[in-house]
Amino acid sequence: MADPKMRILVVDDFSTMRRIVRNLLKELGFANVDEAEDGAIALQKLQAGGFEFVVTDWNMPNMDGLQLLQAVRAAPALSHLPVLMITAEAKKENIIAAAQAGASGYIVKPFTAATLSEKLQKIFDKMGG
Amino acid sequence: MSDFSGMEDLLQDFLQESGDLLSDVDNKLVDLEKDPGDHRLLNDIFRGFHTIKGGAGFLNATELVKLCHLTENLFDKLRNGEMELTPELMDSIMAATQSVRSMFGELSQGVQPRPAPEEVVQAMRAALDGKAPAAEPPPAAAAAAPASAPAPAAASAPPPPAEPPAAEAASGPNWQALHAAVTGQPAAAPPPAKDEHPGGPLAVASGAGVVPETEMTPHFPPEGRRATDKPGFVGTGASTGRRAEEKAAQRESTIRVDTARLDQVLNLSGEIGLTKNRLTSLRADILAGRNDSETLHELDQAVSQLDLLVSDLQNSVMKTRMQPIGRLFQKYPRIARDLARQLGKDVELALVGEETEVDKTMIEDLADPLVHLVRNAVDHGVESPDERQIAGKPAKSIVRLEARQEGDHIVLIIADDGRGMNPERIRAKAVEKGLIREEEANTLDDRQSLNLIFLPGFSTMTQASPVSGRGVGMDVVKTNIQKLNGSIDIHSEPGKGSTFLISLPLTLAILPVLLVLLGDQPFALPLSMVREILPIEGEKMQEVGGKETLVVRGEILPVIALSRLLGWPQVRTPEYGVLMQTAERSFILSVDSFAGRDDAVIKSLDDFRPHGVAGVTTLSNGQIVLILDMKELLADLNAHIDQRLGAKHSKALELSV
Repeated sequence: MADPKMRILVVDDFSTMRRIVRNLLKELGFANVDEAEDGAIALQKLQAGGFEFVVTDWNMPNMDGLQLLQAVRAAPALSHLPVLMITAEAKKENIIAAAQAGASGYIVKPFTAATLSEKLQKIFDKMGG
Repeated sequence: MSDFSGMEDLLQDFLQESGDLLSDVDNKLVDLEKDPGDHRLLNDIFRGFHTIKGGAGFLNATELVKLCHLTENLFDKLRNGEMELTPELMDSIMAATQSVRSMFGELSQGVQPRPAPEEVVQAMRAALDGKAPAAEPPPAAAAAAPASAPAPAAASAPPPPAEPPAAEAASGPNWQALHAAVTGQPAAAPPPAKDEHPGGPLAVASGAGVVPETEMTPHFPPEGRRATDKPGFVGTGASTGRRAEEKAAQRESTIRVDTARLDQVLNLSGEIGLTKNRLTSLRADILAGRNDSETLHELDQAVSQLDLLVSDLQNSVMKTRMQPIGRLFQKYPRIARDLARQLGKDVELALVGEETEVDKTMIEDLADPLVHLVRNAVDHGVESPDERQIAGKPAKSIVRLEARQEGDHIVLIIADDGRGMNPERIRAKAVEKGLIREEEANTLDDRQSLNLIFLPGFSTMTQASPVSGRGVGMDVVKTNIQKLNGSIDIHSEPGKGSTFLISLPLTLAILPVLLVLLGDQPFALPLSMVREILPIEGEKMQEVGGKETLVVRGEILPVIALSRLLGWPQVRTPEYGVLMQTAERSFILSVDSFAGRDDAVIKSLDDFRPHGVAGVTTLSNGQIVLILDMKELLADLNAHIDQRLGAKHSKALELSV
């Protein structure tokens, strides 16, 4: 498994959901977690540096998760960041859109720590970590 | 037992956040009705349901997930222009938000929500399928629903709405393959399947029989019929259902506090700790015999500093309980809209001062009175569009709901631009109903006459309208406001409109009081009722109608001895009178002497509450003082007088409980 001190940014406009994701990450041993309320705030935080992983909701005001993902991939300093998308949709076109934009993974709500762990592991494996 | 053991915190968070979100959605729906094409509104509402759905999934609230998903699908079609927002559809959506709210109510009781009423679900499904919300039976697919009982979250299964192909992709195994495939050759992407159709798994409101009719059923208009066609039927259901639900979900045991405020509390308590240390060391010095002027000066300084810090701390702690009243106000545009529509009126509820901060407890206790006043304004205050046109007013009327802080008070205003109230008619009505006697009615000025509407059993509508004209309510409104140490006042101008003014203290925790003495015993009177203090000179007392009175600046005021109110023997002749004023009347309370004013920190007597005592407080010397509840004491006195005089209805202007 990856470094448990890895700094993770959880992005969701719904604070309850941020808390859920944060708790699940904690269960998996990742305690170094920061939060952002939407894509725009997340992007700012990411640009400030220090993050190694992004878990983001899709549907958010101001800047949604897909836009965030696109912005991350477009920014040379951030483009390498793994981005795990969380959504309530299991629609094919959404998954395709996420894939096209370069998402590292896609997880459908609701999920458990085990599912999350599995997704993370896949991403880490792919990163060669 | 709760269905959510281990998840209580999460549930609390969810309910609070989703509750706010739903109120916001409700308001946006009202706005959307005015501007059905507004893309941003459509998006926001879509996202609202979507977000609630996401959270509900983690709570395994299957029914809530289903309902939100269905509504969300509808809005997805609406925002993509695949569907038109018809008034009938609007009704269905409103009914759905209502269902969501009642599900929150169930969740707050710790039980999983029951399925939404079948007709709500059916109407939306019909709309999604492109049919008018007529009495179409639900597609047979419902039976085949793979009862996606979300295998208690343990399974990493996707949520019930997931469709097989997508679900497969989502659960992982072929993600990388898919990724490669689509990034490599996007054109080859399979055509979007019929995802839009919430096929089988959704909307299986099979257990409609379980849903208590009183709660939900009446809100939803009979198939395809506009709510306005049958105002009474829809109206009562909506109001009672809604209120009951809000009650259930109302009491929140948690509060969200701005971290800056919390930090301030922390800072201050730290400072107080330091000052305490200083005092401890000074005490040691003094006990050791050092009492030179320098030490005493330091002591004086430390105590003054502590004084300041403690009052700062009190303020800061109080502020943590303060919440913007907007959270409460949000609920009203929808209520006003629903009611106006039933009555065929065109009413806009304008919210002003939503950022005004009010104690959290007070916000909760204000919810019901404000509902009533808003409904009252829309129902009784505002005229029908025709009437308004005849009177030369714009057809659309504005009801203003305003909050603002004035000094140490919060003022709430509910103002309409309707027909206003007629004091003459109100007096006549009160006499006719036997609430007051004719002679009494004749002595009332206009302001007092308007206040008659707060009497229990008063209603000016000749025919009880199903909405708010039952003659219950206004008296309850008043009692509730008074329970918060507040007062309510009416201004009305015939033809121009009525205004209800509610004045509330900033907090319930601290009560400014006047300390009066009876013998050596101090009692505390709420300062808000005290107008002035005057000496009582025996020769100026007059007896009118068997009662002692005093003329103050031309006004004849009854003099009531505090000893008599309390049933104590009159030992001394009272020397001072306190001119007390309540909304309806003024009187002079005679007391032996004064001990000054104080900011009483009220200790409530929860289990043991003697009649006429609002609470207790401690003085600086440690003495315990009773805070008197003047309203109760006066009511007792009146009851006593009534008994003695054998009068039947002499309580017209008293503050009865």
